[in-house]
Amino acid sequence: MSQSRVRPMGWRRLLLLPIALLASLVVVVLARTLAQTPDLDARWRLDSSGHLQLTASDLPPLRAAVGSSLDVIVAPGVAPLYVDGRRIVNSTRWIASDDERQAAARQQREMARLLEPGTPVLLGFTDRTSARVTPHARGYETLGITFWLLCGLGLALELVGAVVLLVRLDLRNLLYAVMAQCQAAQLLLAAVDAVPGIGSLSLLGGHEASLRMALDVVTCAALLNTTLLYPTPLPPRRALAWLTWAATLAFSVAALAFDLPQAWWWCEAPSLGTGLLVAGLLGWSYRITPHPYATVMRRLSIVTTGSLALVTIVVALNDRMPGEVQSLVSAVPVIWTVFFASLLLMSPFLARSQHMMREFAMLAGVSTLATSVDLLFVAVFSFNQFASITTSLFVALGVYAASRQWLLDQLIGTRAVTTERLFEHLLRIARKVEEQPARAADWQLELFHAVFQPLVARHEPGFTKTTRWYEGGAGLLVPLAVEQSFDSVGTTSQFDDGEPPEPRLIVLRFAERGQRLFTAEDARLADRIVEQLRRAVAHDRAIEQGRSEERGRIAQDLHDDIGARLLTLMYKAPNPEMEDYVRHTLQDLKTLTRGLAATTHLLSHAAGEWKADIVQRLAPTGCTLEWSFTQDVEIQLNVVQWSGLTRILRELVSNIIAHAKATHATIHADLRDGRLKLTVADNGIGGTPKDWATGLGLGGIRKRVRTLGGTIAWQQNTPDGVRCDVSVPLASPATPSIPAPPTWPGAGAG
Amino acid sequence: MAVKVLILEDNPAAREFLGRVVRESFSDTITIVEAGDLESARRAVRIAGGAQGYHGVDPFKLILVDLELPDGSGLELLEELRQYPATKIVTTLYSDDEHLFPALQCGADGYLLKEDRFELLVEELQKIVRGEPPLSPAIARRLLGHFRTHTRTGMNRRITDEANRDALRTGTATSTFTSALAFAAPAPVEIEPTLDLPALTPREVEVLTFLSKGFTIKEIAALMSIKWFTVNDHIKSIYRKLNVSSRAEAAVLASKQGLV
Repeated sequence: MSQSRVRPMGWRRLLLLPIALLASLVVVVLARTLAQTPDLDARWRLDSSGHLQLTASDLPPLRAAVGSSLDVIVAPGVAPLYVDGRRIVNSTRWIASDDERQAAARQQREMARLLEPGTPVLLGFTDRTSARVTPHARGYETLGITFWLLCGLGLALELVGAVVLLVRLDLRNLLYAVMAQCQAAQLLLAAVDAVPGIGSLSLLGGHEASLRMALDVVTCAALLNTTLLYPTPLPPRRALAWLTWAATLAFSVAALAFDLPQAWWWCEAPSLGTGLLVAGLLGWSYRITPHPYATVMRRLSIVTTGSLALVTIVVALNDRMPGEVQSLVSAVPVIWTVFFASLLLMSPFLARSQHMMREFAMLAGVSTLATSVDLLFVAVFSFNQFASITTSLFVALGVYAASRQWLLDQLIGTRAVTTERLFEHLLRIARKVEEQPARAADWQLELFHAVFQPLVARHEPGFTKTTRWYEGGAGLLVPLAVEQSFDSVGTTSQFDDGEPPEPRLIVLRFAERGQRLFTAEDARLADRIVEQLRRAVAHDRAIEQGRSEERGRIAQDLHDDIGARLLTLMYKAPNPEMEDYVRHTLQDLKTLTRGLAATTHLLSHAAGEWKADIVQRLAPTGCTLEWSFTQDVEIQLNVVQWSGLTRILRELVSNIIAHAKATHATIHADLRDGRLKLTVADNGIGGTPKDWATGLGLGGIRKRVRTLGGTIAWQQNTPDGVRCDVSVPLASPATPSIPAPPTWPGAGAG
Repeated sequence: MAVKVLILEDNPAAREFLGRVVRESFSDTITIVEAGDLESARRAVRIAGGAQGYHGVDPFKLILVDLELPDGSGLELLEELRQYPATKIVTTLYSDDEHLFPALQCGADGYLLKEDRFELLVEELQKIVRGEPPLSPAIARRLLGHFRTHTRTGMNRRITDEANRDALRTGTATSTFTSALAFAAPAPVEIEPTLDLPALTPREVEVLTFLSKGFTIKEIAALMSIKWFTVNDHIKSIYRKLNVSSRAEAAVLASKQGLV
């Protein structure tokens, strides 16, 4: 068994190893290539006029020029390059206008021709000074921390994509792997983009921007297709899938081969469109099947689309911003790329990582917001940089503080039940499980229903030791804390072979009415609830056991001591009347001790015993019995009810035997809607009940009926005899944990 | 020849009373041996030929045993006299199944309630000796439960979760016992060849179910459209099966503990 399970994992792990090695190799080769590209050992920043200002350098000829702005680079045999600082970028992906992008690409190419390792160049500054320097290979250490971080994230995404595909090879996972590959490549390119310096790093010539756009569009297509498949397969998925892939292919070919005009807008528009469409489709999917995954992903896609829209606006307004903030603009798309990649990275582990992910998503979202707002202020109100940063920081923090809770709720959904309510539920259910062990499974189901409010909650046979969740958090399997004990239910269905299997599990699906995914925290909470319930029930049982042992001991003492004395008294009774009186007392004592020893009696069991007892008692008098007993539902009698009813019946029958001289007795008992109606009639010489003298034990009967909260009435029976009607409420016996001791003996026997 | 009767009862008044009941019940000459505690009862049995009753020149034909005795429980004597060829009757004040059922399992042929009227007791005693033992609703229920657990454990034994079992310690006490039994049952035990625990027939189950609801034998006969004595045969058979199954249980337990 374990062999067949382990083996496929084996080859999958083996396959994962070369994939990881290959990906690492790509990163190493990339870093090595970049390290060999020529650059000047200097740090620059954009000044307000759009020139590159030298801020620091270790090269002796350049030290004098710190603070000057670069104007021109001259090399022998090549046309001089007038450097536009705004166009010093490694990636042209996030430049909105075609002209700008082409100009930047042109400058990249010229820069690559000018800077050759070992060939000295002359740098001309705007303040008419100049310096002669020799470019060198830049080396690994100047690649910058951002490069390595982005590479690391790219690697992680690549591996997660591969793992997801290896775990199960199906269309949905394939689509995810495609998205992961595209975004991993995107991250590597962004990493290249993040390398500082003025030396050109364009490894792909003029196609770099087109390639990155194509990657984004392919990601969009894959995302759209995934949405069509999961969580619910949507009807138009075939047509829409073909349409999407055709459009993607057309865009990619147009962008890569023919230099599509307005390519940036052609890329951003479908990306935004995909975001909105995905949100819409997920809404639709949720209406078909209320899978919480749809809700969570819909909220995430709305947030993502919103931030993409902000990024798009900021990039489009880039031209209108002063030079010194334009370097900030280039950071916005990088942040967004990281944000999107992390969402992608964590989406397969949504149920496992919600806590971490939501904080991360909040952080990335808020930084996108802050940067975008900052840049918007600069562009729209022409603030200076300091003022705009301060303002945007305040705005972003304000928005964050105001909306954090709301956002978290929207992203993940809150648990509706507070700790206090949870505690109440737990106590209540523990009590109920104790009271009605036959329905223990139902009560536990009710508890978990109250805690998680799932759309589906049912019992299943099966087994789990601890709580597990499945389908990525759509469902939760909880073990039963207390199993149903059928032994106490009675004998009615004992020999049915078609008895349903005992429930052993609770299956919950779609938490919070389908608004939320079950998380690892939920599983832990469920486990803790189960454990607490077990403890509570065990504790209650221990207490109850202690009580019943105590009661049993008292009963035993009463029975042995008083019973033996009464028995002796009965044997030595001087006359039959006295003997009967003592016998009656002895029977009352037995009822009392029996009531003390047992806590509950099923009504049907009690009825059987009553009948057998009455038949036996009536037999010597020659009185026949007509007995009927019906009940609409089986109930447990508590001690008070059981002993009360037993003694009421015994007393009534005693009266028939002693006074009525009847030849036929009729007893009907009927439990309906929680009331037991008891009719005891005879055909004896009862006469008019009003004329009866007291002291026939009637007072005792009345008292018992009153204790049970019922009514009793005697009337003349036709043609002769007496009829007694007793009506006692027995519904929902709120079994007190300490049974009230039965009042002893109110009824003097007749 | 006089019929020998042993009355084991610690209350002298009750002993005297039961003696009267026995004399009234039978027309034969009765020799009553009275015992006030277990020790003297054992002595009396030894004198009459020992617990197995094989070599007895003059064994007891009828033994009345009280359950609560100064030096132990009457169940002990019943257990010792399982093979003894006499009608064994439990006389007690306890009419509940918790006390009576173990006595029936130990091989008692019936029970008498000491507080009943003289005439009723005479009638009941005659019935038991005739082979018409009483069966109260509570005991009928216990019998149903007893045979159900036997037939069940063999059919669908399940591996239960240890944790759940702990939580349900009180509830599963009997079932763990019987499942241990079911495990041990197939193993051959030399001295007791008939170890198959007897199961009730559907008719017997029906009779027991009616009895548990308080129906009399006459009523059951009418309800099942069978003769009165057929119902009685079923009851006798149930008694016998209980005895057999209890003996098998005892043998299995003894062999498990290495006593046999």
